[in-house]
Amino acid sequence: MSLKQIPKTDLDYVIFYAEELKENPKFFAQQKELIDSQLTASSELTKKRFSKKDFKNNVRKHLREIGLIK
Amino acid sequence: MNNENKSYFLEKETNTIIINRELTKLDLFVKDFLDILKKHANYLIVSGFVSISTGRTRGTEDVDCLVCKLDKANFAILLQDLFKNNFWCYQGDNLEELWEYIKNKDAIRFAKKEEMFPNIEFITVDESKPAKYFELTHPQNIKIQDFEFKIPPLEFEILYKEIILAGKKDIADAKHLRTFFSEIIQKEKFKEYEPIIKKELRNYTLK
Repeated sequence: MSLKQIPKTDLDYVIFYAEELKENPKFFAQQKELIDSQLTASSELTKKRFSKKDFKNNVRKHLREIGLIK
Repeated sequence: MNNENKSYFLEKETNTIIINRELTKLDLFVKDFLDILKKHANYLIVSGFVSISTGRTRGTEDVDCLVCKLDKANFAILLQDLFKNNFWCYQGDNLEELWEYIKNKDAIRFAKKEEMFPNIEFITVDESKPAKYFELTHPQNIKIQDFEFKIPPLEFEILYKEIILAGKKDIADAKHLRTFFSEIIQKEKFKEYEPIIKKELRNYTLK
């Protein structure tokens, strides 16, 4: 990995990563790991919070409480 | 360098951006949804998933999908197909209550049964939303393995994020797209799309 300039801000890192990724598709593997683990974690959390029994109604009740649905 | 070693390339014959990576769980969720939606309606994937599917390293739990306004009969068929294929809708289980949302062009969300995330935000679009209608009718094809879908023109998506959405996350997404796709972005397209987006901004400001 060539480091032309040390990134300082969040946007610098976004640019740095995009530049490196453009030249090297192997970096996609890290991104896949991040996304897959996030979805696994949120699925586990949902299952723990809302039981299978009456799942939809319990989720809807929660979504109404946080104002995401009417 | 041949195309297999690149992170992406533009297949000019089909105007398709080919991304060279494996599918994520998020891709598979969107693919499942679009496999059904494509049979019934014109659509466009916009916003966060455009950046994430092209390498931006951040998480998301909702995927924004513009859908050309359907009539009630066709929406009923789509809904039946989605329910049959293990999707559920946050806003309701029956046609009548969900049609009220579609009729009023209010968004509804779909997730897989017994899951809350990720979800698809289903946003109905017609000519009354000019910028969204423009991008819906001027799609860019993109392909990752066997997953093909439609996104806005890159230049349009970048400007929309920079001018309309303009949050920290959106600016970073736009920067990612500008940098990653620097070899295929066409500067003259920015000039073409900017007035459309600025008009949308004025509409937002007036509301």
